[in-house]
Amino acid sequence: MSNTAKWIQTMKISWVKTTAYRLNFFLQVIGPALIFFFVKYSLWKTIYDSNPSETIRGYTFSAMITYHIWSFVVSMIGQGHTALNMSQDIRLGRISSYLIYPFNFWEFHTASFLSFQILQILISIVTLSIFLMTGILESISMFNFLLGLGASIYVSLFWYVLQYLTGIIGFWLEETWIIRVSLQVITVFLSGAVFPLDLFPDFWRAILDYTPFPYLTYYPIKVFMGAPVPLLKFAMTLGGWFIIVVFLNVIIWRKGIKNYTAAGM
Amino acid sequence: MISEIKHYLSVYKRYLSTSTSEAMSFRTSFVLLIIMDLLFTSSAYFKISFIYDHVSVISHWDRSELMFFTAFMLCLNALNNTIISTNFWMFSEDLKTGNLDYILLKPVSSIFIVFFRYLKPSGLPNIILTHSLLIYFGVQVGLDIIEWFMLPLLLLLSFVLYSLVQFVMSCAMFWLIEGMGINFLRMQMQEIARWPNFIFEKYTRVLFMTVIPVLLVGSGPVYFIFDRSYWYMVPAMIVACIILYYVLHFLWNRGLVHYDSASS
Repeated sequence: MSNTAKWIQTMKISWVKTTAYRLNFFLQVIGPALIFFFVKYSLWKTIYDSNPSETIRGYTFSAMITYHIWSFVVSMIGQGHTALNMSQDIRLGRISSYLIYPFNFWEFHTASFLSFQILQILISIVTLSIFLMTGILESISMFNFLLGLGASIYVSLFWYVLQYLTGIIGFWLEETWIIRVSLQVITVFLSGAVFPLDLFPDFWRAILDYTPFPYLTYYPIKVFMGAPVPLLKFAMTLGGWFIIVVFLNVIIWRKGIKNYTAAGM
Repeated sequence: MISEIKHYLSVYKRYLSTSTSEAMSFRTSFVLLIIMDLLFTSSAYFKISFIYDHVSVISHWDRSELMFFTAFMLCLNALNNTIISTNFWMFSEDLKTGNLDYILLKPVSSIFIVFFRYLKPSGLPNIILTHSLLIYFGVQVGLDIIEWFMLPLLLLLSFVLYSLVQFVMSCAMFWLIEGMGINFLRMQMQEIARWPNFIFEKYTRVLFMTVIPVLLVGSGPVYFIFDRSYWYMVPAMIVACIILYYVLHFLWNRGLVHYDSASS
């Protein structure tokens, strides 16, 4: 079997596994993003109703809701994937199989990630269509949509290697979910998923510009909205962080595999 | 009755002891858990703080009122995470692996074992932090002596209601092969509960104040503290607790009939 065929087969298997328990998939992946959007919509509606003549840092109510719709899309595509099984594979000794199979551990997980991404993109497109049909989202420029989609997929690659890093820390740590959840809490707050970074105090924003957080949600949203975004800076900064995290992954994997005791073998 | 309570308390003391020993065995995880909780509390605090940098009121509440509400919910969240949260995740695993069989064989209520077996001692610093915030914002909103006296009782009542809502929701796991999604749904209900009921539209508000009373958990006691004309919120919470207690027992027994052990 050629390597490409192995990737395609793994993607197919992963697709079947992900969609086998549909209600569970809905509750675990789509539900949280929908509820998060619903709460934000309700909150901002109340805020603008209480202060009717106000624009907040240049955002009207309509602009704020559009921001949160795109935030929903970016979080689905860019930050949907979790490395839930990776640390379990290590802890329970299941990665022993990958060490003798002609398909690497990273290849298996990356193929699963790609399959998951296809599903997430399809769900996002369906959800966007619903937002458009119901009039919650007024219009979409196809150019901005494709550019934003590209930016979100780029973010998802960085998010994936970051999740991979938290997963392989399982060589040393009993419970890697704590790191994953902490990362999620920090990212949701500092990336502009809760509200636009324009609402943050200036000194916070100045500091955040040196971190990858604004590039994970805020900038991709701005791309979708057609606002001017320094695309080269976006690509270079996130690309730089991507290389650093991949480098860390390689080092940690090499050190971890020496440390690995194959529990249960 | 008294001897039964004593028996359950002695069992709970053992659970506390084993959970603490277990937590101390994985010290890095213990420290990371403390950091995770503190990060969550900080982000919830700054979220509200940053919004009020740009607006003076949200509906009719000013900064200190909403901060008091948020601190109240963060206290509940800290208690929830420390005392019961781990058990929901273990329950879905126990159902999937058939470990529930061994729980059913024990001479103590299975509901008690399932929902109170595991504690998270690392939640203690967060309990201290959130309660300090509650006291600070209680001073800011100018609580009087009677309100300070009522506050712990209302917090306890809210915690009971909050727990019962989550116990009832968890019963749905009996009917699902993969129960993890229910835990995510439960967390989404927590997200809704963290906001006062006035931010939601009429029908949503009615749904989450009555059918799934997660909004009653925070809005009930805080409304009552701010304005005595909302006195009916407290009896409503007590009634909700009683109803949920019976619904829990009904669903639990039906769930056990439906339960098909994976290990036998």
